[in-house]
Amino acid sequence: MAADSKVEKAGKIRKPMTNRRMFFAMIFGAVFRRRSRAVMAVVSSMVGAATLFCLAAVCLVVPQQMSAEMRAYGANLIVTPNEASSAAGLSADTVSSVEKTVEAAGSAKSATYRYETVRINSAPYVLGGIDVNQVRDLNRHWVVDGKWPSEGRVLVGRDVADAMGLEIGSAIKIAYRASDNAAGASSSGTSGSAGSNATAVPNDSTTAGTTSAETQAQSTGQSSRDGRVSTDILNTDGTEFRVAGIVDTGGSEDEIVYATNDDLTKLAGERGSDVIEFSSEASADQLTQLVNRINKSSSLGVKAQQVSKITSSNTRIITMLQTLFWLVSVVVLVLTLVGVSTTMASIVSQRRNEIGLRKALGASSASVGAEFYVESALYGLLGGVVGTGIGYVFARVLCQTVFERTLSFNWLLGLASVVLSVLIAVVASIVPVRRASRIDPAIVLREE
Amino acid sequence: MLLELDHISKIYGSLHAVDDLSLTVPEGEWLAIVGSSGSGKTTLMNMIGCMDTPSKGSVSLEGRKLEDLNATQLADVRKNLIGLVFQKFYLVPHLTAVENVMVAQYYHSVVNEKEALEALDRVGLKDRAHHLPGQLSGGEQQRVCIARALINCPKLILADEPTGNLDEKNEKIVLDLFRQLHEQGTTIIVVTHDALVASCAEREIMLNHGVLVGEKWNDEDARAKYEAAGGKPASTGSKSEGAQTGETAIGFADPTKAAKTGGEE
Repeated sequence: MAADSKVEKAGKIRKPMTNRRMFFAMIFGAVFRRRSRAVMAVVSSMVGAATLFCLAAVCLVVPQQMSAEMRAYGANLIVTPNEASSAAGLSADTVSSVEKTVEAAGSAKSATYRYETVRINSAPYVLGGIDVNQVRDLNRHWVVDGKWPSEGRVLVGRDVADAMGLEIGSAIKIAYRASDNAAGASSSGTSGSAGSNATAVPNDSTTAGTTSAETQAQSTGQSSRDGRVSTDILNTDGTEFRVAGIVDTGGSEDEIVYATNDDLTKLAGERGSDVIEFSSEASADQLTQLVNRINKSSSLGVKAQQVSKITSSNTRIITMLQTLFWLVSVVVLVLTLVGVSTTMASIVSQRRNEIGLRKALGASSASVGAEFYVESALYGLLGGVVGTGIGYVFARVLCQTVFERTLSFNWLLGLASVVLSVLIAVVASIVPVRRASRIDPAIVLREE
Repeated sequence: MLLELDHISKIYGSLHAVDDLSLTVPEGEWLAIVGSSGSGKTTLMNMIGCMDTPSKGSVSLEGRKLEDLNATQLADVRKNLIGLVFQKFYLVPHLTAVENVMVAQYYHSVVNEKEALEALDRVGLKDRAHHLPGQLSGGEQQRVCIARALINCPKLILADEPTGNLDEKNEKIVLDLFRQLHEQGTTIIVVTHDALVASCAEREIMLNHGVLVGEKWNDEDARAKYEAAGGKPASTGSKSEGAQTGETAIGFADPTKAAKTGGEE
């Protein structure tokens, strides 16, 4: 059949039908005009793609997320001043050089804390001076009802709030007595002591705009260094603060009142911080090395301590999660293979006559096979694309509800998921397609 | 001769579906193979159509012996020489009429939609070209099937009960199409148990349980031409009763539709 040029020309006016176009027209017809079967095949690979993508997305993101979340459960490295420098706290220079040392081992978040003993309604409490942003960033697990501290406003621990019947917006008067801190210095390292700052207190108190009674209270405090604290039990003067929020961590933080560093300085004068907490991304081994390095360094004048519990449980959970992922993935893969294979087998048996006819018209086994493989790949592609989309939505919802983080679409993983779906669909159709290409036209067409 | 059957038999166990048949068909002849159901007509057609091989004997198409060819070569012969028309049409249900015609082009050589539409025009279905088989009547589907059979200009059209599923009106349309094809010189072999369809052919042979039991000519001019060209009557080596074994044709009465309904089916 020589193609005559007139016909060719006429053909070009419409869409010229070539053999390749005809091939795809046949595949298109099979996929889109026989929807019921096609839908079954697409659904099989869609379910597989959705499950695999969702699992993979969660398992790729969650370990990262979990390390972040775990680190948010406080620090994995704590640095405190050594015996020699504990009274003055850590100077800004020391803090920055420690931070540099720690960050050299892996990126880290840090926060400094300064602790002073203060009087609220005459009872002693620990007042922590913090940089709000640092602490909030480091301690994501802190449940803060209300707001974080700001100027003139404090964050009160749950236990403190319960003991004093405080609510958000309540007013409290906080008084600083140098004597309390001088006494505490020997008993507690981290609670801090600031005896040496005693002289600075009156000045700061006045600049903070306190009343004369406040100044008086301070002086009384200074004069009662010998432990006659109980004598001024009725003295409830102090600087007035408002409760910005109440923090609930289930830990020792619940017994502390937090103020901004500026407010604490106004109240208790200048002093360095007592603790630097780090949340480092370095591995457990790296952290151990880092701790040794810091402790050996005499120039820093600090003690480092590793909080190892979280780091190791972190990795264990991630390993468990990944093992689970592989296990479920294999099961899903097998199920998808079986699903697509069964559907393809049913498609092939339903189209026996058509295959017989094609062979009667001169189709070779290879060309019949090629058609079915491409058709199957198309089911895989459709299922893969839709399934990946659905899987992403599931993974996103899962991350949102369980891990409280948004999940961005990983294009590489998406592509891998679609390609895998196509591959599974093709592999699953090997057996049915082989059966199809062996169909004898005479037997099929003879059937009445 | 276009087709030569030399003592062919198809044997399934103890059953002789076709029993030792010799037959020659010249180019341009219209032959009807008649007989009741189970008489071996379709088996014979499958062997002529390169879809089945005889247990004994040989089939030659255009002088080529089919038993010497492998499956691929048989497929080539089938797509180059033969156009197939089936009782049950066997259109691909998810392809439109014109696409069904183009499928034959696709496996033959090059797809050409214009020619496919012309073929549909020839069977009076140009305006139904983009309908799916499910949207066509039985007669229309059979006409699509004929358009598909003739799209590659085959030398031989093999039709198995082409009017078996059609009403009288459509039967007439299909027979008219065959008549046109015959006038254009196409060789047609029709398997049927319909007397009317058989009577349209120039020559009829009758099978009964795989055995040739009769032969008759409806067109004496064609017979004279055939014999002048050295053509011999069909014959069988079967020893069955009533078999046409010799050099002379045994006449027979046309089978009727009544015979069909009383048959083994």
